[in-house]
Amino acid sequence: MIKLENVTKIYKNDVVALREANADIQKGEFVFLVGPSGSGKSTFIRLLNHEEQPDRGRIFVAGKDIGKLSHWKVPYLRRNIGCVFQDFKLLPNKTVAQNVAFALEVIGRPKHVVRTQVPAILELVGLAHKAKNMPNELSGGEQQRVSIARAFVNRPLILLADEPTGNLDPSTSVGIMRLLDRINRTGTTVVMCTHDAGIVDTMRRRVIELDHGTIVRDQDRGVYG
Amino acid sequence: MALKVDYVAREVGSNLRRNVTLTLASVITVFVSLALVGVAFLTRTGVQNATQRWQGGVEFIVFMQPAASEDQISAVQEALDESPQVDSVDFIDQQEAYEEFTDLFADSPEMIQSVTPEILPPSFRVEPTDKDVDVIRALGSEFESKPGVKQVVFAAEAIRTLQDFSRLLSLGLFSGALVLLGAAVLLILNAIRMAMFARRREIEVMKLVGATNWFIRVPFMVEGLVQGLVGALLAIPAVIGIINFIESKLTDTETINLFQGFAVHSSEQFGVAILLLVVGCLVGVIGSFVAVTRFLDV
Repeated sequence: MIKLENVTKIYKNDVVALREANADIQKGEFVFLVGPSGSGKSTFIRLLNHEEQPDRGRIFVAGKDIGKLSHWKVPYLRRNIGCVFQDFKLLPNKTVAQNVAFALEVIGRPKHVVRTQVPAILELVGLAHKAKNMPNELSGGEQQRVSIARAFVNRPLILLADEPTGNLDPSTSVGIMRLLDRINRTGTTVVMCTHDAGIVDTMRRRVIELDHGTIVRDQDRGVYG
Repeated sequence: MALKVDYVAREVGSNLRRNVTLTLASVITVFVSLALVGVAFLTRTGVQNATQRWQGGVEFIVFMQPAASEDQISAVQEALDESPQVDSVDFIDQQEAYEEFTDLFADSPEMIQSVTPEILPPSFRVEPTDKDVDVIRALGSEFESKPGVKQVVFAAEAIRTLQDFSRLLSLGLFSGALVLLGAAVLLILNAIRMAMFARRREIEVMKLVGATNWFIRVPFMVEGLVQGLVGALLAIPAVIGIINFIESKLTDTETINLFQGFAVHSSEQFGVAILLLVVGCLVGVIGSFVAVTRFLDV
């Protein structure tokens, strides 16, 4: 599903974000990316999403070399990749349901799809009763659920999560992880950056550890450190 | 991908409302610049219509009697052709004179009805080699006494002045309009940039979930188009009002005989209206296109 071949990414100020990174992630895997701040976790995710391009090496997503993707095809790549962030990125002037519907509307899904998919996904994340609330009326955990609903409503093949529990307390985080686990069980490949040792140690999934842009550990059923 | 009309309309509407002051500034600039373009065009057309027979260096016109015989006409033609002082001669027969007349009075059908080709004089428009006033006078007067000649009319100094003035005026108006159009493009560019800044969260999310570039861009481009279009729609009635006002002022004054023929036909007004619409839309689209391509890195 995701394959990195000798991927190197160097930023303009000579900071090496990734150095000769190799990884092969199968369909349906759940992978934790761990490592200190600035070790290249976010770059890893941004490269998969084509928000950034590698300086060297090749990246395959769903069998396609995304370095060879023409400019106008990038949006179609992104439709196969859901993204969840630490800061949710919800639109403050839209209701929960509208936020989720927005993701379908802007990729041109017909109205009847929006009408059926949005309530279904809100049900899945357990927020059907808050559909008409504004994001600022929700707790952090609930907001992150909305953001996951938005990322998953189009049923992407891959879900990328950049420290989704970074702003949440431990018990709320457990709920978010249950949700991500559930999504993973539908066959969706999940790649998640995290600093949360507790979560990684409990879940016991594949762990890829980065340090200064180098992959120093790639371990099945691993622990945080 | 199908861009939904109601989606674009909603986005454009809310953007325009959010940005009222900047939108107004762009619309007003487009309006003023297009009004200048329109007035410049139509005054020039009006003056050209008024001085139509004096175009292209024609310095005097030999009018024949409407009833002049073929022989008389060809005699004058020969005399003009043979004269070394004559550069070129243009013969306007009765039919052509009638067509010119109907052109000139296209807006007053009662005038046209009162005239038939037979009562109009055929004429020779003469461009002399020497532009000196005295030489032209002497040359023209030679023909006054020829059989069949009704009258020789000389281009008044005033007509030349008028033509020069209208040329200068429209040149000035055009350059002013050009500068303002440039300003309008920049203003629209900025208005769109502000609109995009106001919507940066939406844009970020759209990119994230895989909205196509054009899906993101089109509402902003339509916004620019609307600003240009509204400016043009305001400019058109303004221009037509100004021109009709000038026309009525000029043709009312008995003293300024020169302007009697100053008229802008409705077909010419229509043409200018279309031109303004096209230029307005172009200004809007160019401004917003630059904005979305420069500041919307997708």
